[in-house]
Amino acid sequence: MTALKLNNLVKRYGDFTAVSDLSLEVPKGSIYGFLGPNGAGKTTTIRMILDIVKPSSGDITILGADSAMDVRNRIGYLPEEKGLYKKMKAWAIIAYFARLKGMPSSEAKTRAFELLERYGLGDFANAKVETLSKGMGQKVQVLASIAHRPDFVILDEPFSGLDPSNQQVMEQVISDLNKEGATIIFSTHVMSHAERICDRILLIASAKKVFDGTVQEAKDLLPPRVRVAGEFSSVQLIELPSVNGCNIDEDGMLNIDISNGCTPQQLMSECFDAQLTLESFEYRQPDLHDVFLHLVGEEAKVATLR
Amino acid sequence: MNNSFIIAGREYADNARTKGFWINLLMFPIILVASIKVPQLLEEKAIPTRDYILIDQSGELGDVVQLAVDRQYAAKVAEALSSYYMANAKGGVAKEIDLEKMPSGGLDGMMSDFLEQDPGALDLLMQPGAIESAVAMMKFGLNDDAPEFTEPRRPFSKVDVPTNIISVDELATIDSGEIVSRLRPYLLGDEYLTTDENKLFAVIIIPQNAAEQVKRGGTAGLIQKLDEKDGVQFWAKNLADMSLSRAISSALNEHLRTNEYQRLGVDEEIVSQVKSTQMLFTSFDPSKDEGEEKVSMADTIRQYAPLGFVYMMWIAIFTVVNMLLNNTIEEKSNRIIEVLLSSATPWEIMSGKLIGIAGVGMTMMAGWVLSMIGVLMYMAGPQVEWASTLLEVISNSGLLPLFGLYYLCGYLIYSGLFLAIGSLCSTIKESQNFMGTATVILMVPLMTMVFVARDPNGTLAQVLTWIPLYTPFVMMNRAAADPPAFDMWGSAILMLVTIVTMLWVSSRIFRIGILRTGQPPKLVELFKSLTKSLKNQ
Repeated sequence: MTALKLNNLVKRYGDFTAVSDLSLEVPKGSIYGFLGPNGAGKTTTIRMILDIVKPSSGDITILGADSAMDVRNRIGYLPEEKGLYKKMKAWAIIAYFARLKGMPSSEAKTRAFELLERYGLGDFANAKVETLSKGMGQKVQVLASIAHRPDFVILDEPFSGLDPSNQQVMEQVISDLNKEGATIIFSTHVMSHAERICDRILLIASAKKVFDGTVQEAKDLLPPRVRVAGEFSSVQLIELPSVNGCNIDEDGMLNIDISNGCTPQQLMSECFDAQLTLESFEYRQPDLHDVFLHLVGEEAKVATLR
Repeated sequence: MNNSFIIAGREYADNARTKGFWINLLMFPIILVASIKVPQLLEEKAIPTRDYILIDQSGELGDVVQLAVDRQYAAKVAEALSSYYMANAKGGVAKEIDLEKMPSGGLDGMMSDFLEQDPGALDLLMQPGAIESAVAMMKFGLNDDAPEFTEPRRPFSKVDVPTNIISVDELATIDSGEIVSRLRPYLLGDEYLTTDENKLFAVIIIPQNAAEQVKRGGTAGLIQKLDEKDGVQFWAKNLADMSLSRAISSALNEHLRTNEYQRLGVDEEIVSQVKSTQMLFTSFDPSKDEGEEKVSMADTIRQYAPLGFVYMMWIAIFTVVNMLLNNTIEEKSNRIIEVLLSSATPWEIMSGKLIGIAGVGMTMMAGWVLSMIGVLMYMAGPQVEWASTLLEVISNSGLLPLFGLYYLCGYLIYSGLFLAIGSLCSTIKESQNFMGTATVILMVPLMTMVFVARDPNGTLAQVLTWIPLYTPFVMMNRAAADPPAFDMWGSAILMLVTIVTMLWVSSRIFRIGILRTGQPPKLVELFKSLTKSLKNQ
């Protein structure tokens, strides 16, 4: 089952292409991470999915409809820039957005109090938004976007501006929603969140899709990495059969590219056989951070400078 | 459409809860009550009885002056008595006063006309016990629970010159310059005559030969040499309160003329009869039915009452329309609009805002009108007779429903405009650029208000009527003057067409503007994107 399907989506603003030829399928019940450097086109894509912005070409199918407007009561949305009506009470604002999504008003009120209680804001239910801290306000907004029990949730940068413990609560919210059967898309540039929560990720850079697949698939793009240090030179290392190549990184450690079909264990025993004195031997799977830098590294830097 | 009402409900609650709204709502009746009560209170309490000194060396004119002061007080008593009667008469006041029959000068006018013709009528009231017997005569016509009649305070009271300042022997001969120099510190308020610190208000000096200091008309007057020192002198620091000096001077002139008639052998009786003759002079209004053409008090109020409505409408429209502008900008600047857009169509958002704020405006207006009627009903009575007149005009003339209609139209025209401005600006500051121009345009109906009221079917009124932005104000202004049917219906149709167009264009601009960030677009850009969005349809 597909919850969302993007077909050759393009968005141009004059000469500037914000999103170029993007196709994507989001399976129902999955958690999909939209990753990419600043200005890559994540927010524009999300706005097109929501039918707030019309695509220049291409089409979108969401929950079986051609426009998110037709199924808007089943969609929840948290925009990138957070803001709320300052004079409203926390519960009222949650109930208000739930009602806009078709929830009867009495049910919306109960639901608002229940959510605030569940995510640690029970004491602030009757506080005006302007008296809440930024993090609390953001939590209220997240709750407002999911109060109507949506089938499809789009969260744009849900973690930005939250302290570590609230980030954890946010992760909890997402996993709770997922357990209730909702499909979730969220954008972030904090890789550790994506790695922990996502089933699948989409990587966009400079308006183009760079990668789309499971987290494991992303990690497999890079070979396992071994870093060693010791009283030997890189020339001695390269002579070993399981070493394909190596280079020295900023910390003075040697990064080793292992030959195809070889394992780190093999490399280690070869080192012992060659009587190389190892001071440290580090072996790890690449994480999303490495993949991200590998795939969009140069562009990310350019984008940040821009 | 359901979403429109949810949005409207929030807008209403959000704005109706602000302090500004309540201040607005309460300010109006408070100002109204204050504008009626404060002058009354001032008259009753704040102005103390004023002391004056009268030094008469002529032995003749002093009595005339004293009589004038007494008559002035008697007129006040007469007024108080009639107010007292009307306030407490059985069956209420309304039956007693027929507005349509009352001349346009009102009750005060009638009273002063009467007294001018026959000042002696007041002398009766000055007899000892006269007030008591007048009250006793009224008793039968009064309600049982009528309060006791209290005599008004004397505005002026005569005090004698303390003998330590001017001795009794000196009094008859002392030079007027000397009198003034001795009393000057008292007149200036540096010293007090009495222990209760009542300032000396005035000193009236009548020198010995004052009666002969007569200015004559005709050629004889040209060669006269008169010295002000020899005439009657009125010394007072407070030049603003002229009631005493006027009363005295007119009484002296009256006395002089009576003497002159006697000197010339003219019968005084005949003179007073001649003086009270009058030509019959009546104002008529040609637009009224036969037999009803007489211009009454109610007519005068009816012509000017719309002014108040126009003013109220102007303030209310710009208050609520500004709420609309600020709300829209708030939603834009903190990006709530994005969440709204994912939940409702731009049209639902816009109509929701329009309905919600219209509700706020209607509440405010209902509050004002009801409190106005309440205040007028409470105040209505002989003291503020215009209040009852106004009340009657408002409830009878059909101005009120017209007002409601024009108010709604005005709101719809301007709300579209301001909503569009709001959707194009990201900050209040940016919107101020637009507001400057808008305010200039909006000032026009306010500035021309009085001119239109004075000539409700004149050229200015007609021209402004056909400018849709001004139609609601100008037509309200003209409402009481029976504008031609063509002006009324024609302008109404034009106004409705404008409203529909305005809202339609605004909804387009709203759609485009609402997601924009950064600088507001140039007019050309705006036009381009408008036409583009039309083509896309």
